[in-house]
Amino acid sequence: MILSAGDLQAVILTLELALVVTAILFVAGTPIAWWLARTKSRWKGPVGAVVALPLVLPPSVLGFYLLLAMGPNGPVGHLTNALGVDPLPFTFEGLVLASVFYSLPFMVQPLQNAFEAIGDRPLEAAATLRASPLNAFFTVALPLALPGFLTAGVLTFAHTVGEFGVVLMIGGNIPGITRVASVQIYDHVEALEYGEAHSLAAVMLIFSFLVLLTVYAWRPGAKKA
Amino acid sequence: MTKKHIEARFLLNWPGFSLDIDLTLPGRGVSALFGQSGSGKTTLLRCLAGLERAGEGFLSFKGEIWQNGKTWLPPHRRPIGYVFQEASLFPHLTVLNNLQYGQKRIPTARQSDFDPIIDLFGIGHLLDRKPDRLSGGERQRVGIARALAVNPRLLLMDEPLSALDSARKQEILPYLEKLRDRLDIPIVYVSHSPDEVARLADYLVAMDNGKVFAHGPLKETLARIDLPIRLGEETGIVLDAVVAERDAQWHLAKLDFPGGSLWTRDKGIALDRRVRVRVLARDISLARDNREHSSIQNVLPGQVKAIADDEHPGLVLVSVKVGPSVLVARLTKRAAHRLDIEPGQSVWLQIKSVALME
Amino acid sequence: MKTIQTLLLIVCCLAASLAHAEKIVIAAASDLKFALDEIAAEFRQIRPDDTIEIVYGSSGKFFTQIQQDAPYDLYFSADIAFPEKLAKAGFAASEVKPYAVGRIVLWSAQMDASKLTLKNLTDSSITRIAIANPKHAPYGKRAEEALRSTGIWAAVETKLVYGENIAHTAQFVQTGNAQIGIIALSLALNPELAKLGDHYLIPDTLHEPLAQGYIITKRAADNILAERFAAYVDSKPAREVMTRYGFTLPAKDR
Repeated sequence: MILSAGDLQAVILTLELALVVTAILFVAGTPIAWWLARTKSRWKGPVGAVVALPLVLPPSVLGFYLLLAMGPNGPVGHLTNALGVDPLPFTFEGLVLASVFYSLPFMVQPLQNAFEAIGDRPLEAAATLRASPLNAFFTVALPLALPGFLTAGVLTFAHTVGEFGVVLMIGGNIPGITRVASVQIYDHVEALEYGEAHSLAAVMLIFSFLVLLTVYAWRPGAKKA
Repeated sequence: MTKKHIEARFLLNWPGFSLDIDLTLPGRGVSALFGQSGSGKTTLLRCLAGLERAGEGFLSFKGEIWQNGKTWLPPHRRPIGYVFQEASLFPHLTVLNNLQYGQKRIPTARQSDFDPIIDLFGIGHLLDRKPDRLSGGERQRVGIARALAVNPRLLLMDEPLSALDSARKQEILPYLEKLRDRLDIPIVYVSHSPDEVARLADYLVAMDNGKVFAHGPLKETLARIDLPIRLGEETGIVLDAVVAERDAQWHLAKLDFPGGSLWTRDKGIALDRRVRVRVLARDISLARDNREHSSIQNVLPGQVKAIADDEHPGLVLVSVKVGPSVLVARLTKRAAHRLDIEPGQSVWLQIKSVALME
Repeated sequence: MKTIQTLLLIVCCLAASLAHAEKIVIAAASDLKFALDEIAAEFRQIRPDDTIEIVYGSSGKFFTQIQQDAPYDLYFSADIAFPEKLAKAGFAASEVKPYAVGRIVLWSAQMDASKLTLKNLTDSSITRIAIANPKHAPYGKRAEEALRSTGIWAAVETKLVYGENIAHTAQFVQTGNAQIGIIALSLALNPELAKLGDHYLIPDTLHEPLAQGYIITKRAADNILAERFAAYVDSKPAREVMTRYGFTLPAKDR
């Protein structure tokens, strides 16, 4: 099964996008999940709901709003304009931003669950052993939540790879920049090129399966001996 | 006075629970916070540790202010050791790493070798294990050792035995007694078990419904029958005694306490050793005269100090002075009436059994 | 008792009216969105009992779906090649009828496109040009042909962003994310879009004709309403609507 240059480009672009988005969300999603897991603030509900919104919003709706927001007349557009940066639609950066927002619940929710499962006790124990809250987070919460991080990372990565509607809406389908594999498959199908569609779909399927298999085979909780 | 003591004032209002404390604890020995579950003893302990922050509060430890108005020392800055009900070891670390966790976070000047602690708790062979491969008793021993490894100036223990079955309790208790005798730092010990309190405490703080209703040195406080400390069958007093004589023929030992002596089974404790003796109220009968022919070996003369109603309307508690010591007996109201018990009356105490606690 | 009789009567009446009312589902290319909506609205006034549902989308997608027995009774394609292939494969119950020829325009919500020509697209101030995906959208194919025959394809290719269909392409321009785009005349003439900006009609000599055609599908072979609606599309009032939306119509007498 040999992919055309265009298909290969789309696959590589997809993986790049998924990696960048997952990396950003590890950094951005962890504090949000931590805050959601531990706060008693009355903002917990509203913030949790906003984070979960992409789960219920149809991607086309989300994509359309992002297109408006990032456009020259939208708030994000004004911001990029003021910063002297190119407008975000039809750029890789724009896709990253949209995907970060769209995949946010897939990072935050497993992490939040993992943090909540740890409970207060280990952190209190750390505090009585002279660990500052930040120190306790890195030496106790983080190692204990490792399986949660793994799940969150895999879900985020997989979800970004499988993202379609939002990318279609704001990407503009530019080869090498915003034409990811899911869009490429869709184009093949639309152009009645079923053979190419099959090949690319199969590559994505096998790749995703292998990633998931690797992750599930390697469980950090399992004893080495 | 404040230089040697722990002064604590906390006012805390939660839905369905409030804590209102104004307490001074001795700066050495074991202070037991005693009460039913829900009485607020654990919350008080957590306020001392800084794990809970009472909106209004004051806390000074031997003259150092830990909490006062806006001043509030977070728990990781307090020189405490804390033992949780369940050991709460870090599951991802080995026993050794658990012990080192706190130790490497204290100033080098205060760090000390923790081999003696490892020896004291007999956990040397467990150092490489992860907590999930320890028994409940082993886990709690490591938990206590971990709290001591930070070389604390105040040790806080939250019912360290309550999660263990009675065999495990008997396994740990001797370690705690050794700890009490060797450490010269104050220990605040939360418990709802009269037996543990009688064995370990020097100072008793009795709590109910978020408030302290009695506190004082253990012996005096237990002998006060005017306080509603509800111990039921466990009502009784504690005496400090010395092993004065060992009778090889009958396997008995004579324990001298201020005001008298008691015979008990010889448990092989060496002469002149200081021991703690617990005498339960239900094990003492009172008589107007000394009947020679009785199976009861320990008969002491005393003088009635006070009479008070017990929990059951048919029962009374009678405190009796034996020299400078005070013992408490439980009688039925009818017996007290028939014997004409009243303060100042001379009586004989017939003591059926005593519990020797090394 | 009386209520039950009344209820029975109502149910009978409903059943009777349902028996007479017909229903069709039409699959139509996105460029027909405004024109066909108007035509259907007028048709409904004439025959209020019948139900006409229209699904808009890409012609290629409908082509695939009809091959899989999708429940469409009429298929209006933006590219007559699709219905022709269906007819050849036996999926049609009628001959393929051309109903209009589409036109493409330059349209912008930011500048006055009526003062521009295709050549202006190479201007450096224009950084984003939206066209429909030439790979599968008929309007995209024609846009590419027009750009190529003007000789500017290579110069503008890097500026192009591709809409999934012609309506999506218009959306890129409408939101200002693309400064200009090549869209269907029928969309640019819609008041909603026309008020945002004028258009420049791209000469139809620059590209293959956008011959559009429809068929009645095999599943609607005996559906009188489908035939009736097809006939209505060929009627004078319907042709007026189509003309108003910029479609060139085939000669009346075929």
